[in-house]
Amino acid sequence: MITQDLISFFLFSLLYLTVTIPLVLAYRVTKVINFTVANYITYGAYTAVLLDYYMRSSFGHNSLLLTVLSSFAVTGLIAVLSNLAVFKPLAEMRVKGDVLMIASMGLWIVLKYVLYIVSDIASSAWRTNLVSYSQIHYDDISLLTVRAGLVGVQQSLVVFPLLAVASMFILYLVLSETRVGRAVLAVADNSVLASLSGIAVGRVVNLTWFLTAGLTSLAGVMWTTYSGAITPEVGDSLILQVFTIAFIGGLSSLTRTAAGALLISGVENFGTDLLSTYLGLPTSIKPMLTFTVLLATLIVSPPLGVAGGVPYRFTRGARR
Amino acid sequence: MIDVLGFLITLTTYIGIYLVLSLTLTLEVSSGITNFGKVAFYGLGAYTGALIGTYLPLAITGSRASPFDVNGIQLLYTISKSNPVLDLSVFLLSLAAGFAVSALFGLLLTYPIHRVGSALVGFTLLSTGEVLRLFYLNTEPLGESKGFMGIPNPFAWLPQARGAEALYLIIVWCFVGLTYFIVSRIMNSPLGRILKGMRDDELVALYAGWPTPLIKSKVLALTSGFTGVAGVLWAYYFTSINPNMFTPSLTFNIWAMVILGGIDSIVGGVLGTVLLASVDYAARFVIPFIGTTLVTPDYLRWIIVGLVMLVVLLKKPEGLAPRRGGVSKL
Repeated sequence: MITQDLISFFLFSLLYLTVTIPLVLAYRVTKVINFTVANYITYGAYTAVLLDYYMRSSFGHNSLLLTVLSSFAVTGLIAVLSNLAVFKPLAEMRVKGDVLMIASMGLWIVLKYVLYIVSDIASSAWRTNLVSYSQIHYDDISLLTVRAGLVGVQQSLVVFPLLAVASMFILYLVLSETRVGRAVLAVADNSVLASLSGIAVGRVVNLTWFLTAGLTSLAGVMWTTYSGAITPEVGDSLILQVFTIAFIGGLSSLTRTAAGALLISGVENFGTDLLSTYLGLPTSIKPMLTFTVLLATLIVSPPLGVAGGVPYRFTRGARR
Repeated sequence: MIDVLGFLITLTTYIGIYLVLSLTLTLEVSSGITNFGKVAFYGLGAYTGALIGTYLPLAITGSRASPFDVNGIQLLYTISKSNPVLDLSVFLLSLAAGFAVSALFGLLLTYPIHRVGSALVGFTLLSTGEVLRLFYLNTEPLGESKGFMGIPNPFAWLPQARGAEALYLIIVWCFVGLTYFIVSRIMNSPLGRILKGMRDDELVALYAGWPTPLIKSKVLALTSGFTGVAGVLWAYYFTSINPNMFTPSLTFNIWAMVILGGIDSIVGGVLGTVLLASVDYAARFVIPFIGTTLVTPDYLRWIIVGLVMLVVLLKKPEGLAPRRGGVSKL
């Protein structure tokens, strides 16, 4: 029981990190509370599903590398297009952050049901059920595990660390070692100053959308090796955890976000197990625990001054 | 032969319930509360109503039947057919309880969210709705995934079904009128202007001396109460509820209505609601006749809801009927 908990704690921590670090970075650059992050995860997973079915039926093999590259490209492209079509025009209209968020909600519904339609059409064209797809095994990962002498190890135990580390590494490399990465950080800190010093802010914002959405989609690919039933609701089912973690990080600090990912993953896996073992509570209490952490975060350490909030905490009587 | 009168009665009842929801949302939006959790309070009201409407008549008549099995549902039906006083008092009690529970819940929820920005408020309320839905889904006394069936119509004792429908329609529209009266009185009063200022710049409102967290709590409690009443009305109208009725999509539907008509404009909200709710209802009516198609029509319906939000925000942010006498930009 405890080993099972440890394994899922490990896997979910990596999954949450893969989603939330790009999310917080994207918020700092684009200033959009972006609910379409759920779509990015789902589109990542579904690119993997469609590619898996196509490659298996045509060539008999599939490949994680190819899946990752195409998920990255598809999702990144969707994010850039949604920026160009929705968020950029809205930002030019100088609307408040609320409107951007509401627009991201609208986009979320549209993208979600577009995916449903796509998977319906693909299901009927290929005469298979893509709306609930089984776990995917990647042939190149099997090859790798056999070479490394790890026969019989679940693929998720290899794929999760691999993709999470790759995602963090790419992010680190781009942000700290390239000029364009430094430009991204500059825009994140102060976009007016960045544009005054000659940075093409619009292009940097587009790049951020592409990069962060692409990296988020890796979480979807990770999910395909873990979950037994991949559905178009994958991303939606993770959104509570993802935003709770982002709020723990105050939508700004990457270290606190990482700590939040560990916290939520721990609470979900160990907390649920403890409560069901010692108090006999059902395991369906899991989302409520996360929700309790969300409320506690908002009370104890609210992210102030972001996303339309007043920059200081007003408590009756107390002076800080 | 299509029953035109019946269709009109159900359509107007449907629109009426949505109007209560969209009017309260208009008040919330115009005071800077981005309520993405309408469905939380709506569902809470509906479940409160259903709990009272099923358990109470069974308990009063001394029956031990469960409201979830066939015997219980049949017993509820016979009770509702024969006992007008009980029916009506249970209904009134449900309305009061639905209001009280939802309002209290809204008031309690303002404590964690009054410090943070509107986006965080929106997300917290959204997840409240989801968590509540999962709670209904996994709680046995609430019927789990089946939900409540056989919630008695308060006018089931009338001999003609048409009369019961018409009376229920009148009740619903009384509540629409009440909500409209309260919302328009608040929005066109000095308090309404404070709310508007609070939405435009909370810091300025705070420095002008208004206790914005307190005002927000009161507004959310009031609107949540009415949203709860809408939930009770829905439960007794539809006579069965289940957790799948209370998904976040419903919230977006109401948001699309309010955005289409013009955010923070009462007339616009009403217009948008009548338009979208009619389309919605017509779609519900027509879709079963289409049969199986390649693309499920329901998906298209949701895409249209999302597109309405996006297109209006991008092309006509003031909506179809903007609020007069002020900039109605969010």
